[in-house]
Amino acid sequence: MAEILQYVHKDGLFHRMHPGTKIVFVLVFGVITILTLDISLLCAILGTLLLLAFTGRILMEVLDQMKLILAMSSIFILITLVTMPGGDVLGYLIPGGFLPVTAGALTAGIVLTLRFAILIVAFQIFVITTQPRDLVNTLERAGVPIDYNLMFLIALRFIPTLQGEAKKIHEAQLARGYKTGRGFSGRIRSVAPVMVPLVSNALSRANVLGITIDMRGYRSRKRTPFREERMNFLDMVSIALLGVTFVLFIARSFSGPGG
Amino acid sequence: MIALENVSYRYRGSGREAIAGLSLDVSPGECIMVTGPSGAGKTTLCMAACGILEHEYGGEKRGRVFILGRDVKDYAGISEISSHVSLVFDDPEAQLIFTTVEEEILSALERRGLSSAEVEARLSAILEVTHLSSLKDRPPHALSGGQKQRVVLAAALALGTDILVLDEPTAELDEEGTQSIVAVLKALKAGGKTILFTEHKFSPFKSLVDRLVVMERGKFLAMGLPDALLADRAVKDSVMPDFSGIRDTSPSLPSSGKSPVISVRELEFLYGDVPALAGVSLDICPGEFVAIVGENGSGKTTLIKHFVGLLRPTRGSIVIDGKDGMTTPVSELAHSVGLVFQNPDHMFFADTVAGEVMFGIRNLGIPEPDRVLLDVLSECRLSDAKDLYPRWLSRGERQRLAIACVLAMQPRVIVLDEPTTGLDGREAREVMEILRRLQKDGRTIVVVTHDLTMATECADRVITLQRGRVVSDTGRGV
Repeated sequence: MAEILQYVHKDGLFHRMHPGTKIVFVLVFGVITILTLDISLLCAILGTLLLLAFTGRILMEVLDQMKLILAMSSIFILITLVTMPGGDVLGYLIPGGFLPVTAGALTAGIVLTLRFAILIVAFQIFVITTQPRDLVNTLERAGVPIDYNLMFLIALRFIPTLQGEAKKIHEAQLARGYKTGRGFSGRIRSVAPVMVPLVSNALSRANVLGITIDMRGYRSRKRTPFREERMNFLDMVSIALLGVTFVLFIARSFSGPGG
Repeated sequence: MIALENVSYRYRGSGREAIAGLSLDVSPGECIMVTGPSGAGKTTLCMAACGILEHEYGGEKRGRVFILGRDVKDYAGISEISSHVSLVFDDPEAQLIFTTVEEEILSALERRGLSSAEVEARLSAILEVTHLSSLKDRPPHALSGGQKQRVVLAAALALGTDILVLDEPTAELDEEGTQSIVAVLKALKAGGKTILFTEHKFSPFKSLVDRLVVMERGKFLAMGLPDALLADRAVKDSVMPDFSGIRDTSPSLPSSGKSPVISVRELEFLYGDVPALAGVSLDICPGEFVAIVGENGSGKTTLIKHFVGLLRPTRGSIVIDGKDGMTTPVSELAHSVGLVFQNPDHMFFADTVAGEVMFGIRNLGIPEPDRVLLDVLSECRLSDAKDLYPRWLSRGERQRLAIACVLAMQPRVIVLDEPTTGLDGREAREVMEILRRLQKDGRTIVVVTHDLTMATECADRVITLQRGRVVSDTGRGV
């Protein structure tokens, strides 16, 4: 089973980078992506990110998410086609003149898809190359309260655990003759045998987790810096490049009609 | 180090006291083992001893708890107490927060106000005592049960407290995992730590325990030197399971003329590229009581998942009750083989015990559902619990409910994965007695376990798996 958003221990470009630099990286690409509607620019950003992932030796891990991205993309494009018709009609989804495919809707769908893909890939690069401890420490130093840090950390950490649990529960219920129900109400009802144990087990685990966090003093004691990563030459160069990219983007947006 | 004075506690909304009138003095360097059936109040005792009940829980408290001579009420909170006492629970998964072993330990070490050099030195000392040096870059959640629990223990040690409280630290572990934890505890005791722990089995901890405490229904039944207490039959049966008489010694074993109910030929299974089963062949005949034994990772669970179609062979063949195990849907195979998973909590979702049992009955359309329900509840000694919420039952009762749920589906074969995990000696015996009765009624029983003693004492035939192969089989048919 592919593990979603988990730290991968490797020695790559991004692994050597300071977590702070990577936060800037996600922010710069995130902001540019949200501000622009230019499909060619979005494609260029996505290409750059994949190239960077390749350089950082994490391309395979990033590509693991492509299935999710493709699935979401088709849903986005379908929704925009149905809800935002505009511009020339290029064809019909159902032959005979039903559900027209318009240029405007298609463009909007593609922009939405590219944005989504860029945000996922950038966040993925950040998370799988940063040890959660470094992440928490960086956020803590940036003034984010420890409780929010821990929430973020635990949300990431328990993804594979919940994936594994859900699989075990599903198997246990299959062995009891459980079948996915038919029709909408059937499907809703058939969720209970899997969701109820999953949530109940997670809640009882949360109790133990809460006590453990308190007993280890994460929330109450001050941290002494240890093996603190400093910003190095790579970080300086990266931040400078990100800064230049951002300034160029802003300049381009104000100077031309493309932005 | 820790002193309890007449401590009682009732959880909010509960009808009875979880612990009642407990008094106990734990001396420096002492190692105390607390035992008793599931639901006896052992976990509550651990939480009382750490001051957690006082500071984190509502409910009704009586009596006083002292840590290092100071009333827990006078501590500022858990954070202050945690400089003196560390607590380890039975479920390692819930206590692992970070994504590498080293991080898990470091994140606790960093909060102690030590210099970098000290942090470095202690980190390597802890990795060494817990035998984790070679695993330090691995993600904890991907380790084996024993390794995970060692990481949890290592993170607790990082706090540098003199007192360690452990709640069933080896409950989910196999023999090897248990031994690795015992080795760590021995080293800690030799280093002067005070240890209070709860467990079901006494034998692995024999060389460690100074004092044994027996609990039942929230009270201390007996307390003293282990040897003296174990002279009492009731105590011994609880901590050293006795399965004598369960194995059927009468010569009425199933005749080899019967055609097998499960027939496996040259079964191979790969998880990705990793072989889990490498050419298993065996026949199980109707009415047999078979145990499949082997260490973690030997392929036991992978094999039995093929019996209900949850896994399909990569190569080879399997025939279950005349049906092809390669293509027959799980819902169809469920009529022939019932599978009781290791953790009963993976299946309970209904509001009542009866509702839980009815789920399988309805799914398979079993005739006379009400009669079947009453029969299986009485067989598994749960008639009185019919209307209770399944998750409120004790671990022993939950295990029996899991068996009842599968039994109600009236399969020819009942397969159980580690059915005695987390149970004390008497509860384990009770489960095995139920299985023996079912076998006498004509069902085929397959038990998967890492407990070789239980297997040889209860089953008529023991099949041993090692690295995905059958290495020995005391029965016929291979």
